Amino acid sequence: MANAADVDALDFEPDDDDLMDEDATVDVDASSPTTAAAHIPKLKSAITSSAPKKTKGRGFREETDPGRTNRMSGRFDSLDSDGGPGPERSIEGWIILVTGVHEEAQEDDLQNAFGEFGEIKNLHLNLDRRTGFVKGYALIEYENYEEAEKAIASMDGGELLTQTVNVDWAFSRGPFKRRNDRRRSPHGHRSRSPRRRF
Amino acid sequence: MAEEENGGGAAAGEFYLRYYVGHKGKFGHEFLEFEFRPDGKLRYANNSNYKNDTMIRKEVFLTPSVLKECRRIVSDSEIMKEDDNNWPEPDRVGRQELEIVMGNEHISFTTSKIGSLMDVQTSKDPEGLRIFYYLVQDLKCFVFSLISLHFKIKPI
Repeated sequence: MANAADVDALDFEPDDDDLMDEDATVDVDASSPTTAAAHIPKLKSAITSSAPKKTKGRGFREETDPGRTNRMSGRFDSLDSDGGPGPERSIEGWIILVTGVHEEAQEDDLQNAFGEFGEIKNLHLNLDRRTGFVKGYALIEYENYEEAEKAIASMDGGELLTQTVNVDWAFSRGPFKRRNDRRRSPHGHRSRSPRRRF
Repeated sequence: MAEEENGGGAAAGEFYLRYYVGHKGKFGHEFLEFEFRPDGKLRYANNSNYKNDTMIRKEVFLTPSVLKECRRIVSDSEIMKEDDNNWPEPDRVGRQELEIVMGNEHISFTTSKIGSLMDVQTSKDPEGLRIFYYLVQDLKCFVFSLISLHFKIKPI
């Protein structure tokens, strides 16, 4: 299948896998939640250097499946992208996200409001599985960049069925603002806060 | 709606979410896993050895707006208040894992597969497990929409 070929063709920065690495190093100590929590710091440190988190759940106490690293550390298929800022094109068009959608909204309401910027190629108006009402967001696909851009410019902050909706691109060509504290090097950054002196 | 500025809210603080469901059986290790990373990267992996044995692995960067909506869904569910202590343990039939970092809280819940609401009702913590059950469905629904729209594949 074409998929398999794509997967092989696109590499994936191994450095970005740091969130997954903790499996290999987690020691098993089910007896004490504090000890177990102390063995989890890699995920924590990968995304923050701030105060320790309140942890909860069996996942901190049980033996971690070593397969987890393999599952998520391989090559992932993505569309070609230069990694720069700005929206990313999807395979057949441009996808925007509408949030703040009224729980009783119908597809027609979105068609009417967003159809004027261009033909809607796809519309996902997902439901809350518990209530059966609209979950609160919609994903809309336009064929052309200009259509999507116009929809965002015209509808973001606007009103739909008495509620204010926000409209933005769904996909991006690269990561958004990396936090300073994601740097894993011990010399990578220094806290400005005096409280963090050791 | 979702509180915008505090740590548990939709906008502030860091956010990471990973969900896994799978089992090992006749067709090997079959699973579905996705994660939302703090930098906006969404990763999706689905390995089913039944019929075709291809592993689907996709990744794409999301805008902050999409990540914020994901947080809103998590936040509104109030899953962070729950605990998996009294949930069914993972078993031969399967295993689910839900790991979320939001604000200064970090949960890592595991439980068995949940076939239906009947399993929820007969469990020792029906209220907590129901929240988990519906949140997982809402998250899957969100992720499947994103992945299928972007890559034009049927995620399941």
